[in-house]
Amino acid sequence: MEPIQLPEWTALGPALLLAATAIALFVVDSISPRSTNRNVLAGIATTGSLAALGVAVWFSMAGVGATGVDGFGVIELFDGQFVVDQLALYFMIIVAVVTALVVVASYDYMAGHTYQAEYYSLVLLAATGMATMAAANSLVTIFIALELASLPSYALVSILKDNRGSVEAGLKYFLVGALSSAIFLYGISLVYGATGYLQLGNIASVIEAGDAAAYDGLLGLGILFLIGGIAFKTASVPFHFWAPEAYEGAPAPISAFLSSASKAAGFVIAFRVFTEAFPLEATAGVIGIDWTVAFVALAIVTMTVGNFAAATQDNVKRMLAYSSIGHAGYALIGLAGLSADGGELVMGAAMMHLLVYGFMNTGAFLFVALAEHWGVGRTFEDYNGLGRRAPVACFALAIFMFSLAGIPPLGGFWSKYFLFSSALEAGLLVVAAALVINSALSLYYYSRLVKAVWIEDPVLERDALTQPTGLYAAIVVAAVMTVVLLPGFGPVVDTALEAAAAIV
Amino acid sequence: MEGVFDYAPAIALFPLVAFVVVLAFGTYLPKKGALPGIIATGGSLLLSLVMAAAVASGEAYHETLYEWAAGDATSATGVEGVSFTFGLLIDPLAALMLVIVSLVAFLVHVFSLGYMNAEGETGLPRYYAGLGLFTFSMLAFVVADNLLMAFIFFELVGLCSFLLIGFWFRTKSAPSAAKKAFLVTRFGDYFFLIGVVAIAATFGTVAFAGDDSFVTAAETAIDGGDQLFGFDAQTWVTITGLLVLGGVIGKSAQFPLHTWLPDAMEGPTTVSALIHAATMVAAGVYLVARMFGYYALSPTTLAIIAFVGGFTALFAATMGVVKDDIKQVLAYSTISQYGYMMLGLGVGGYVAGVFHLMNHAFFKALLFLGAGAVIVIMHHEQDMWKMGGLKDKAPVTYYTFLAGALALAGIIPFSGFWSKDEILYDALIVGLEEPVIMAAYAMGLLAVFFTGFYTFRMVFLTFHGEPRSEVAEDPHPVGWSIKAPLLVLGVLAVVAGIANLAPVAKLAGVDITFLEHWLDGEYGAIEGLTYTAYGELLAYETSYIGSEQVTVLVAAGLSLLLAFSGAGLAWLLYNKPEPVAHTERLGSAGKVIEDNYYQDEYQVWLAEGLTLPLARAADRFDQTVIDGIVDGTSTASLFGSDRIRRLQTGIVTNYAALIVTGVIVLLLVLGFLGGWF
Repeated sequence: MEPIQLPEWTALGPALLLAATAIALFVVDSISPRSTNRNVLAGIATTGSLAALGVAVWFSMAGVGATGVDGFGVIELFDGQFVVDQLALYFMIIVAVVTALVVVASYDYMAGHTYQAEYYSLVLLAATGMATMAAANSLVTIFIALELASLPSYALVSILKDNRGSVEAGLKYFLVGALSSAIFLYGISLVYGATGYLQLGNIASVIEAGDAAAYDGLLGLGILFLIGGIAFKTASVPFHFWAPEAYEGAPAPISAFLSSASKAAGFVIAFRVFTEAFPLEATAGVIGIDWTVAFVALAIVTMTVGNFAAATQDNVKRMLAYSSIGHAGYALIGLAGLSADGGELVMGAAMMHLLVYGFMNTGAFLFVALAEHWGVGRTFEDYNGLGRRAPVACFALAIFMFSLAGIPPLGGFWSKYFLFSSALEAGLLVVAAALVINSALSLYYYSRLVKAVWIEDPVLERDALTQPTGLYAAIVVAAVMTVVLLPGFGPVVDTALEAAAAIV
Repeated sequence: MEGVFDYAPAIALFPLVAFVVVLAFGTYLPKKGALPGIIATGGSLLLSLVMAAAVASGEAYHETLYEWAAGDATSATGVEGVSFTFGLLIDPLAALMLVIVSLVAFLVHVFSLGYMNAEGETGLPRYYAGLGLFTFSMLAFVVADNLLMAFIFFELVGLCSFLLIGFWFRTKSAPSAAKKAFLVTRFGDYFFLIGVVAIAATFGTVAFAGDDSFVTAAETAIDGGDQLFGFDAQTWVTITGLLVLGGVIGKSAQFPLHTWLPDAMEGPTTVSALIHAATMVAAGVYLVARMFGYYALSPTTLAIIAFVGGFTALFAATMGVVKDDIKQVLAYSTISQYGYMMLGLGVGGYVAGVFHLMNHAFFKALLFLGAGAVIVIMHHEQDMWKMGGLKDKAPVTYYTFLAGALALAGIIPFSGFWSKDEILYDALIVGLEEPVIMAAYAMGLLAVFFTGFYTFRMVFLTFHGEPRSEVAEDPHPVGWSIKAPLLVLGVLAVVAGIANLAPVAKLAGVDITFLEHWLDGEYGAIEGLTYTAYGELLAYETSYIGSEQVTVLVAAGLSLLLAFSGAGLAWLLYNKPEPVAHTERLGSAGKVIEDNYYQDEYQVWLAEGLTLPLARAADRFDQTVIDGIVDGTSTASLFGSDRIRRLQTGIVTNYAALIVTGVIVLLLVLGFLGGWF
């Protein structure tokens, strides 16, 4: 045993650390409100997010939440309102990694902007919300965590106050978000009405006991509305409309943050709610239909809409936004493939995909941030010939693009391959086929970008481009992780499968 | 001799090292890379002799060294799993072939010093690297213990001959000849590959030897009366055997895939010596000998082998009669001689076929190197009508060449006589029972006459008479590096026949058939790969004219008579101070023969008249239908993409409406399916 037994509440350490960092930033800001000292602010934010990452990794390695022989068991806090298990830690790691990358990259991107302290503290507050989502175990804590993640996000998207696109995107994001929250909240109340409980485990026991049988329509509607709220957070069809505009209008690091961390947090809720609260067979017995059907439909439609819309975009950021919708579709296979037996494989594959995606997609958006930092423009043509000026970053971009497209031997290939094979094993032939077709299509627009930077001749002659340290560091780290996640896939696979098995 | 086989891989690896060294550093080495090649092949020769000694002391070696792929497919005969390996099989046959190949390769390397270096050729590192890789491929092919490994090195041998035939790539003819050699042999190898796949899929193994070899499996299947792929086992063995034979016919230049070999003369003469005597062409016949047990199971395949061999022997011999280029004559003689080997193997004369393979390796290497010497002497003139009278000016070349010619013509007691006679004898005793074999025998016998004729026509035109050109009067001197290999091979061409004096043994009743004992496993051997074991598999009946002795005498007498008459006719016509061409006396037949029976023409027609239009049609199909579908898909995708893009109007109320619509649609669908209403 450990020489010192930590108190139980420290299990939420990663989330608490993020919150503490956000507050520390507020303190700095209130001491010197006009400060734009980037070194101090970004330094605090980076330290905080890396500390959260370290603690999450440490907990995960030390066996917090693991149910095995040398594990500490699943830790329940506040009468089960929060739960810290392998799943929670796994997603806290993803959130913390993306936050760290984004914060480091923002050091250069936000140079010269006002509201520096607000920016960093909002990012960390949103990250706190996302980390809390990973551990939330009751519909009400889930909703609060979700709002904690969402509200700073709205502000972050529109933080470029003198930029019309940014402000407009923020407003749209907020309006769609409000609608989605309403729907989600209504879903919570319907589920509460049907079962009388908010805590996930209790809902499940009511359903399993058959006490909710009289409210089949009510419960079904509630579940459907919950799906709606989750679809909003994960940018899945039909709640995806905010994503292209928000990602395009937002500062590029924020787009990276929202499309990677926020999406992952949305998925952890989905995984937890649908496996803990609505056990497959019992729920099907009540509402008369297997809820995976809804996810099968959503997965196929989402990946198709995302990829098809991405194919003809001219604007790189918007293309990435749609590609992010497409990837949400891939990750939804994790829920679509859940079945009475053997669901943890496909869910584990989806979780691996989210982790790899956290690196490659963040990296891709950070490259866009770099391009915006250089001021080269937004369309594919504007990116022409960048490879000659900035070979390192463009090489990293090629890695991101090919990994997103799923080209071996990059990380994106392996996670997609696991998704594909486990979908086949789960018997989801249509979904697997859609995955392949969409991946093939996605290669078209991803390679278009690689072609632009490496093969095409630049439209205008450019001067030498600067090499901002923070952005470069974040991009290179993301690229390296995208590549080395492959050899390291052994432990990652184990962790993901263990995390999935913890709740299935 | 325990443990010497541990060094067996080095036999093949020495030349590979030489290849790498020469390729990397050849330009900086003295003699431009000849020395590493000579050292490596010399080392291979020594090790091969050690292996032969080990086999002679009663051992054999069969070891899998590396498994590079394994699968869990179930074969047609129910074997679970198939694995592909690299392994060594050194039995009497392989040991013999190792010595032959490394000896010829070594001598060719030495000869090259005089033929290539002394003549100031450029690109020598490339040449020696090619020779090294060639030798490596052939040696590895010889020791291969399974069919797939054999195929891999068989292909590598083909590649190397492509590289070396096209050595003078700046000329017009050499690259074209190289391409032709590559494509024609590749055509045969295509069937070989299918055969390998078929055998692997049928028996779940590609091993040559051991209890789990495909030969044993095939025998079991035939004995058990199995049905394989809808055929009975015997027919299926015939089919797969013929597929593999496709590769043999291409490589060993048998009719109808012989057309590449005469053109392959465009390479350096040393390369021709290597190709004809010990590597490329020998590979085909060696493969038949290597998997002889498999062919022995199928009388149909054997009869086809025998008939093709007999036909090729005669067919090529007639073409050799009218050629004017000394190397062309030798090329057709090679085709013809390999026909004999196929005939010998096809009639079940395993020892006779291998015996002729060995003798031919010596005398054909000798003849080619002799021709190379003549070409050096003649300042690179190859037309025999411009030579003459070299007898006195280059005595070493003349007498060694003469020894090779006597062996080739099959004159007693030179080596070629003994092996050719044994083949014809084996064919005769089977032919007395089987009319098809009789026909093959008759063709083989007739070819003896033509062989004698064209061989001595070549000798007389080249060496006898008066010099017919200025260079012939003033020959270029040749050095020791040319003479030494000629002398070694000359001695072998004279005495190699002692290895198996079968007629003498049968007539005098003495036990001097050493090669037969060697191949029959009286020393070391692998079980099942012996002459006796093969004999038990064969289904041929044999009979004699009168007694065995009488038959031996009749066969030997007939072939000697024909050889002498052929040589005598050449003597009459061409052993004159000023010989003249007699081709026009042949009339229209001569024209047909000079044009090689229009074999090239019809093959070119096949390529241009038949394959090309077909390829064009396929191309059109690809361009229109396939590409059309592909383009259509992308057009449809992009169109769809454009539509989906328009969903995003930018107006937030539209989004809200669409979200609500989406939820309602989902609600209706799920509610309907779940029966909520």
